[in-house]
Amino acid sequence: MDIHETINGLIQELRRGTIIIGVLSQLTEPQYGYSLVSVLEQKGIAVDPGTLYPLLRRLEKQGLLESKWDTNESRPRKYYLISEDGAQVYMQLCQEWSAMKASLDSLIKGDDDHGAN
Amino acid sequence: MELIERYIYAVTLKLHEKQRSEIEQELRGLIEDMLEDHLQGREATQKDVEEVLAALGEPGELADKYRGYKRYLIGPELFPLYLTVMKVVLASVGIAMLVVFCIEAFLDHTQVLHSFVDTLVTLISACFQAFAWVTIAFGFAEFAGGRKDLLRKQNAWKPADLPLLPDHRSQIKRSDPIASIVFTILFAVLLTFAIDMFGVWRFQSEGARSVVPFFNEAVFRSFLPYIIALLGLTLIKDSIKLITGKWTIKLLSFDLLITALHLVLALFMFSDTAIWNADFMAQMTQAGLTPIGSEEHQFVSEFWNFATANMLYIMALILVFGMVSPVIRMYRLKK
Repeated sequence: MDIHETINGLIQELRRGTIIIGVLSQLTEPQYGYSLVSVLEQKGIAVDPGTLYPLLRRLEKQGLLESKWDTNESRPRKYYLISEDGAQVYMQLCQEWSAMKASLDSLIKGDDDHGAN
Repeated sequence: MELIERYIYAVTLKLHEKQRSEIEQELRGLIEDMLEDHLQGREATQKDVEEVLAALGEPGELADKYRGYKRYLIGPELFPLYLTVMKVVLASVGIAMLVVFCIEAFLDHTQVLHSFVDTLVTLISACFQAFAWVTIAFGFAEFAGGRKDLLRKQNAWKPADLPLLPDHRSQIKRSDPIASIVFTILFAVLLTFAIDMFGVWRFQSEGARSVVPFFNEAVFRSFLPYIIALLGLTLIKDSIKLITGKWTIKLLSFDLLITALHLVLALFMFSDTAIWNADFMAQMTQAGLTPIGSEEHQFVSEFWNFATANMLYIMALILVFGMVSPVIRMYRLKK
């Protein structure tokens, strides 16, 4: 297999888990799917709408998000907002992420002279 | 914008009905948003729509993501076994049909073409039947297996649940059940369609053949349902052997039970000599094979009388002998 393909596959795998943190972080204000895609993209997190829309539904089903249809505008849109449970999960995930980042950084930088650099 | 509707239809088609209408609405909104973004104020062309839909990806994949799992009739876990069983079953049907065809052709060459066409038609329909039944059985196993996985998740897994390492004493060679399946099916076909061919064959010079049958066909046929049921049980046993690949106490008990049932059936069939062709010796003589008073007549008649009178004991001996090996195996496994 081409090395670039391998790299792309691995990057996608890495991103998969972080997308959920990204999504939860932005939903303290109600947003609909496509506006969330643009917001995340502006902040450097590229998400495929075909991935995000099913993900939003799944998170709603898990009770992390609440949703409401807005039919006042020209096209009806489903707005998502983080739930109480979701906020708690988000906090926990953030802590986990910081710890993971710190551990990985120490591995990569090799502060005990055993790292790759 | 027919393309958009076609796309939405293609995605929702593969989804659960309850989710359909909402996802439909959501998708329509998304595609319109994406299109608006893509156009930057221009008029939409067919090409723009195509580009947006291509960016959204294949409808089947999107539907899979919405559903959260892939759908299978027979999943990747069962598929290799499905292929093996399908090959064995189709080959057995093919071989059995070929044997029946050969016998028919042998008995009557004037009708070879006719019986060839007949066999071909039956073969095709039998293969379709076999294919359908195997597929239905595996589809059902897949469906039931999915449920079992859910049940299993509720009970935490323990290291003690690990399967035992294969023991060479308990391993079953794949060729053993496969050969048994082939012969069982062949036997069932022969007994059902060609019981009158079990007998002494006489070849006449003009090419015609006559058979002096061993059995009284009507009496034998009355036992046929039990024989077929027993062969069916044997097929189930062989399938289990093929699937599990190793002897267990349960499987050995099932094996012994089937042999015991054979013994019971033999008891019913052969305790009375009614099952035998009562006119066997007379017909043999009539066919000119054993002229009265000849040494052959004497010998065949003695042999026939001995065999019919003692068939029950002969069968019992063979069956009991067949039980020795599973009993030894069971004893070793228990240790």
